[in-house]
Amino acid sequence: MKTATREQPGTTIVDVTGDIDMGTSPGFRKTLLDSLKHTARLAVNMREVRYVDSSGIASLVEVLKEARNKHKMLVLFGLNTTVHEVLQLTRLATIFEIRETEEEALQA
Amino acid sequence: MSCEKRSDANRPAAARTGGPLAFRMKMASDPRLLPVVRSTVAELASVWGFEDEQCRCITLAVDEALSNVMRHAYQNRCDQEIELNCQAHSNCLEFSFVDRGEAPDPSRFCAQPLDDAALGGRGTHLIREIMDEVLYERLPGANRLSLKKYLPGAKSKG
Repeated sequence: MKTATREQPGTTIVDVTGDIDMGTSPGFRKTLLDSLKHTARLAVNMREVRYVDSSGIASLVEVLKEARNKHKMLVLFGLNTTVHEVLQLTRLATIFEIRETEEEALQA
Repeated sequence: MSCEKRSDANRPAAARTGGPLAFRMKMASDPRLLPVVRSTVAELASVWGFEDEQCRCITLAVDEALSNVMRHAYQNRCDQEIELNCQAHSNCLEFSFVDRGEAPDPSRFCAQPLDDAALGGRGTHLIREIMDEVLYERLPGANRLSLKKYLPGAKSKG
């Protein structure tokens, strides 16, 4: 799993590539939480995420809770079928702001 | 062994016509091996005739079960042994996981209520949601978790 961070006006974008599982979710979580400290809006690009398990989802939930506590925004975009399925199975699809494209995420 | 799951609705599940299959993996409790197991399980489910979505779900359930063993039975130690047995029957896939770690807290098998955004417990929920049969047994000095997934139409989930 790899991440890369870039900036757009008003939004920090974290591009994620690979699998988010028990082995990689701690790094994923840390990257998102660190990025959230320095931005009011965090967008996570999931387009290149091939796999996510419950530990990856738990990381996203933790970041969402932190964003809410700090009155910041978290938006996910580019989710593929696999990620959507896991969110549906864990009944968490409705708690996140999810958009199809980066453009939509920046406007959320 | 290909790591790409093939999605060919016209390809018959010819593997099943040759009778049941079985293989066994003895692996370290190292999370770096999870992708290796996922690839194997995904391919097995595909050649055994499960549709793509079911292959993904079965892979997820096996991955979650292994992660639970690593995290809870072995307390995140990477140097312990997990035995994964896979049996492919004419009507189902069966996976069993044997470890020699801590016995789980029985209350964890009830899984987390999913109405609140709790951070833990979703792995168990996913396993129960996906697999048709889930059985935990405490053996002398060991734990065994067995998961079974039936092919569509083979058996209704009770």
